[in-house]
Amino acid sequence: MASNDGGNSPNTVSSPDARPSSPLPATNSSPPQSARRAGGRRRRGSASPFASSPSLGGFETPPPPGRRTPSGAGASRQRQNWTGRFPPTPSTPMSTDDVPLSSEAGDEDTPETDGGGGVDATPVFVWGTNISVQDVNAAILRFLRHFRDPRDAGRVDPVMDEGKYMRAIHRILELEGGESLDVDAHDVFDHDPDLYGKMVRYPLEVLAIFDIVLMDLVARIEPLFEKHIQTRIYNLKSSICLRNLNPSDIEKMVSIKGMIIRCSSVIPELKEAVFRCLVCGFYSEPVMVDRGRVTEPHICQKEQCKASNSMTLVHNRCRFSDKQIIKLQETPDEIPEGGTPHTVSVVMHDKLVDAGKPGDRVEITGIYRAMSIRIGPSQRTVKSIFKTYIDCLHIKKTDKSRLHIEDSMDIDNTNASKSSEDHFVRDKIEKLKELSKLPDIYDRLTRSLAPNIWELDDVKRGLLCQLFGGNALRLPSGANFRGDINILLVGDPGTSKSQLLQYMHKLSPRGIYTSGRGSSAVGLTAYVAKDPETGETVLESGALVLSDKGVCCIDEFDKMSDNARSMLHEVMEQQTVSIAKAGIIASLNARTSVLACANPSESRYNPRLSVIDNIHLPPTLMSRFDLIYLILDKADEQTDRRLAKHIVSLHFENPEVVEHQVLDLPTLVAYISYARNIQPQLSDEAAEELTRGYVEMRKRGNSPGSRKKVITATARQIESLIRLSEALARMRFSEEVGVGDVREAFRLLEVAMQQSATDHATGTIDMDLIMTGVSASERQRRDNLVAAVRNLMMEKMQIGGPSMRMTELLEEVRKQSSMEVHLHDIRVALGTLMSEGSALIHGESVKRT
Amino acid sequence: MVGPQYDLVGNPLGAVRTTFEKAAAAAAAESGGRDPVAAFRSKDWGASEVFRSFLFDQGGIDKVPLLDASNLGLIKPNTLVRFRGMVQDMLGNEFYAGAFKDGSTWRTNKFTDFSPFAMPHPCDSHLWERHLFHCVPVPGQNSWTLESTPGPDLRQMSNCMSPEQREKRKRDGDDDVMDVSENGNGESSSSKKPKEDGIQISSNSAEMPATEAVPEMNGNDHHIPGSSFSCLVKIYDMPESQVKLNDVAEFIGVYTFDPELAAPNDNSDDIMFDLIEDVTAQLPPSKVPRLHCLLLRKLSSQDFLAKQPVEPLPSLLKGIRQSLLSHLTQLLGNDDLAAQCLLLHLLSRLRTRVDVVTVGRLSLNFTGFNRESASIFGNQLNTLIQRLVPYSQAIPLSIEYLNTTALQPRKDNKSGRLVTGVLQLPQGTHLTFDETIMQSGSLTSKGVENTVLLKNLMESLMVEYDFEYYKLEMATDVQMLTLSEGKSNILPSDLVVPFRPSTVPAVTATPEELESWRWYLATVRSLPQSNEPEILQTIQDEMVNAMREDRSLGCSELSRWLTMAQITASSFGEKSLSMEHWQMVKELERLRKQRIQ
Repeated sequence: MASNDGGNSPNTVSSPDARPSSPLPATNSSPPQSARRAGGRRRRGSASPFASSPSLGGFETPPPPGRRTPSGAGASRQRQNWTGRFPPTPSTPMSTDDVPLSSEAGDEDTPETDGGGGVDATPVFVWGTNISVQDVNAAILRFLRHFRDPRDAGRVDPVMDEGKYMRAIHRILELEGGESLDVDAHDVFDHDPDLYGKMVRYPLEVLAIFDIVLMDLVARIEPLFEKHIQTRIYNLKSSICLRNLNPSDIEKMVSIKGMIIRCSSVIPELKEAVFRCLVCGFYSEPVMVDRGRVTEPHICQKEQCKASNSMTLVHNRCRFSDKQIIKLQETPDEIPEGGTPHTVSVVMHDKLVDAGKPGDRVEITGIYRAMSIRIGPSQRTVKSIFKTYIDCLHIKKTDKSRLHIEDSMDIDNTNASKSSEDHFVRDKIEKLKELSKLPDIYDRLTRSLAPNIWELDDVKRGLLCQLFGGNALRLPSGANFRGDINILLVGDPGTSKSQLLQYMHKLSPRGIYTSGRGSSAVGLTAYVAKDPETGETVLESGALVLSDKGVCCIDEFDKMSDNARSMLHEVMEQQTVSIAKAGIIASLNARTSVLACANPSESRYNPRLSVIDNIHLPPTLMSRFDLIYLILDKADEQTDRRLAKHIVSLHFENPEVVEHQVLDLPTLVAYISYARNIQPQLSDEAAEELTRGYVEMRKRGNSPGSRKKVITATARQIESLIRLSEALARMRFSEEVGVGDVREAFRLLEVAMQQSATDHATGTIDMDLIMTGVSASERQRRDNLVAAVRNLMMEKMQIGGPSMRMTELLEEVRKQSSMEVHLHDIRVALGTLMSEGSALIHGESVKRT
Repeated sequence: MVGPQYDLVGNPLGAVRTTFEKAAAAAAAESGGRDPVAAFRSKDWGASEVFRSFLFDQGGIDKVPLLDASNLGLIKPNTLVRFRGMVQDMLGNEFYAGAFKDGSTWRTNKFTDFSPFAMPHPCDSHLWERHLFHCVPVPGQNSWTLESTPGPDLRQMSNCMSPEQREKRKRDGDDDVMDVSENGNGESSSSKKPKEDGIQISSNSAEMPATEAVPEMNGNDHHIPGSSFSCLVKIYDMPESQVKLNDVAEFIGVYTFDPELAAPNDNSDDIMFDLIEDVTAQLPPSKVPRLHCLLLRKLSSQDFLAKQPVEPLPSLLKGIRQSLLSHLTQLLGNDDLAAQCLLLHLLSRLRTRVDVVTVGRLSLNFTGFNRESASIFGNQLNTLIQRLVPYSQAIPLSIEYLNTTALQPRKDNKSGRLVTGVLQLPQGTHLTFDETIMQSGSLTSKGVENTVLLKNLMESLMVEYDFEYYKLEMATDVQMLTLSEGKSNILPSDLVVPFRPSTVPAVTATPEELESWRWYLATVRSLPQSNEPEILQTIQDEMVNAMREDRSLGCSELSRWLTMAQITASSFGEKSLSMEHWQMVKELERLRKQRIQ
């Protein structure tokens, strides 16, 4: 028997160390032959074909194309070509009508003699190795019979006497449905590392024995069980990167992760052929497909006929099995920079057909195989190039292709959290959960958001809230409460508002970035418009509709036409866009968070005007923003210097300014998308705190003389606060909104409007008190100082008592405090106290109230 | 040792075989004949050393013909050729029987597609792997880069073309004619010398079509087999990560052509044919030559220069800078400011990338053009740029262009190949966008995608490749110049300069001048920078002062100033930045701001 390429190459190819004591390095017989011989001997006398022989024979990779079938007829030659590319595989199931097993199983009385070669005294080896078939046989039997899951150890159960896989087999028999036995490779390893090693290195041979042992075992339990049960190994101890598959992996069991990019249609593969005589109509016995080939009978077997070359294939009496080829591609995270993904073909059989769809991420356990390809008609060109593919044994879906939020923003999908649980890989979730338990996760997230942008910590916090979002709610009455948080950034030019927008646009799953200038906001098509005066070209796009379930970033909001802006009213509260076209009014979903940024009305913030006057947006629209940040550029040499230093270091130094404790972008995205599936509920205490705070806010807004000068709290604001608190709870992966969340929400709201810095009487902002651009540490320092000043005043001053000079106060504070304090700081602290209402400043003197 | 006795150009495989057999024999003697060649897997046994010394030390490289579309049919198979191209796609690995035992001797199949000796039927063999790269002529490559690397005259070699090949070519005759005409080379390709071909390319890209024609230079779809010249390079013994997508390299290796391999596939009706079959099946060897790469070297812009490298002395650089600047000034109708900005722009390159921030780029937007002035100045400008930089492209940005052109490279999972897009570019490409032809109109979804792509390219020098189920961002380094009426919002450039010409350009440059300018650009761009901490401190102070004066200055402006200052310093050949350069930039900025107002 001449060897063929497939049978030969793997053995000679594998590196010597993989086969340390190979006694027969290069004989011409191929492994299946000897294995079959062994089996055949045992099964001698059986009338019907030995059930497992086709599957064993299938291990042979296709015959070299040069070989001719005996018939040499054109038809068979063509078939041979065909089979050359369709190698049979080990996982081909056996025919269900082949039932020699049951009858023979009875002859076998001891399990020890079970399996191939049991009758012969001489040990049978897997070809080319020193692996004894009997040994493997016994090892597998031991494993199946006796393996007990350590996790089950504690349980006492009558069925427990049997091992994990015996139970599985019983279950299959009971259900009569299963056709495969899933075997965890970790179990094999735990039970018998040697067997595991053999299985991984010689999967074809060992799996064939596995199947035989399994069938014998089944036959003994249930002699009438007719279906073939196949062993499916999964969960190998190590999985290999698709890119790293190399010649030494050929004919080994491998486990790879990847993404299915293409599936072929289901291909019927001939298993058993039936021929009919064209002359007399006699049907031949079914002919088994042997190593991918069917031998067409030359002459009619009917005694009376004996016509030669009269047999023809009868398709509808043949038996076929399903087969499918899929293409597996590397997942994006495995692709090195500047590379393109690799792909590999995977052959699926029977039950595995259609187990995965294009776009699925899967983990595949299979046997890596190579076959020679036929390039030209000549012999010599055939051998040098090989095609590789994987015979799939087991497929496991690992992950959805996108970690991004798809449906969690949809209020209709309230059970999204359950299903999306599966989308995440377990350990990834664990990692995220661990992260969420960190005490400083809030700060850490803040730092991770746009780490290139300095300061603006509170703005970043607000933006984080926007990313996390609140719970959307739909009452049975049909009332809708949006969960999306809208944010408006108003600020001086050059305060990196646009960069923040860009960053958010990158981070959000379906972010749209648009410029208010010329944005038609609602149009469905994009349009390029040209400014007739300047000749500037402007892109108009239907941004809001496009960013449904995402964040819509609108730059230059103030330049937006009133018409477009008015559309936003509907979008921001009802989350729909109504479009009247050709007499039909269509309402389109636009469940989007709006992040807008605008310059103050006089292009720079005018400190002499009130906040409202500076922003200069219709109050109706303004109230729809949950947070309005005033990012004011305060001339501060310190910040300027830091910025300058940052730029210089960016250009000239090795920019290895490793920022500690910052989540990288993918982690942040994953964290957010996971958190969005959590639906936190307001706790009672939190609700109380909310009410209390809200009432206080109302009061402040209604204080005499401040009307229209400051933004008063409305019912909308309480909704905003709830959303913010929910978002804050989500950041901690908490199912419950705590009091702390509510307090932080209030603080965010206040900071956003610079309310602590606003003079309520005039509505103007004390530029020295601006908090937005202040870092957390600085704010901590200020808070401490405020507390220190307050204490001092409590000690030294009486309510309504004589005033104290600021310089005196400074002296006192300096005495007590270890920090360096300037008069300026005192002034700031007093400003805070004044807004609290506990101090009164007259020029340089301070009074306690 | 082996070198002289073989014709390394005519019969490279002979040398490969000899060295292999020697090495195998030696290894066999050492190991006692157990498995001598196993160690040669993904290793060189000395063959490439022979070639390296022949090509680079003995100057043999000049004798190696340069493979291109024009001489594809003329080169004899199994000879040594060179190919300069860009890695357009990576097609994964290929396993082949690398070594086999023929009787008692080991033979190798390395650097060839088929065994030179009949492989005995059952035999010991070793499976080795090689990487497949699909390489194309560099998109936008300018003609001058071809002049510097003339191969031996191939017309003399045409008579050695094998008869079977002639026959083969005849068979695909019809297709070939079509291909050629698609390429814009109307005549039969085999009668063309490389130089002429180069001019064809130049005339092709020199045109700045006002309305209709879109430069098809690389608009050709390399995905359709035979639509353009490409080469399948098989690379051995190299970690794959060494070559990246869009790298430009010179591959020196064995050109193989086997008519048997080229035989048409009659089994294509097989259903699973395309799935298990790999992508090389779509690249018929008759159109896509196979090159078994022995050696490769990556090419930078300096490698295209004809001149021998000269020490970049500041005095020398200053002189060339002056001549280039005055030429640019004249070209731009005596607009000195624009010329200075253009010079800085031409010298810019991506220095580092920190997160999303790119440092060192300087895209330029000349505003104030109308159609007429764009055609006058734009054409002149393009022609000059083509003569100065190795790769450049002019892109007419119209609604129609945005709506119809495939800018984005896209993976076709059906064929398993990367379909190239206009934005699949090698590092260092210069792009000129002409926005003056943009009219009002609707964009289709493709148009929107394209604008997003362009904007992303402008802002972060990243091009998103579409892999159907996900997108992958690839870093690029391209210089972008936009000519527009007003400030372009579709292509937000770093530097916007209103263009104010006072004369009509009428300048020509001598070849010597051009050569020195090319050298200047390539050299300055690669000059290293090192700065004293003092100057950095001074600049920081300067920045703080500037911010105090003008509150509208932001991170991006200051960063740009610094980039400009740095390039200015380099343009004088200085390694370190000085206050003088900083002041020059500030003055430039002042003049520019004046114009904008």
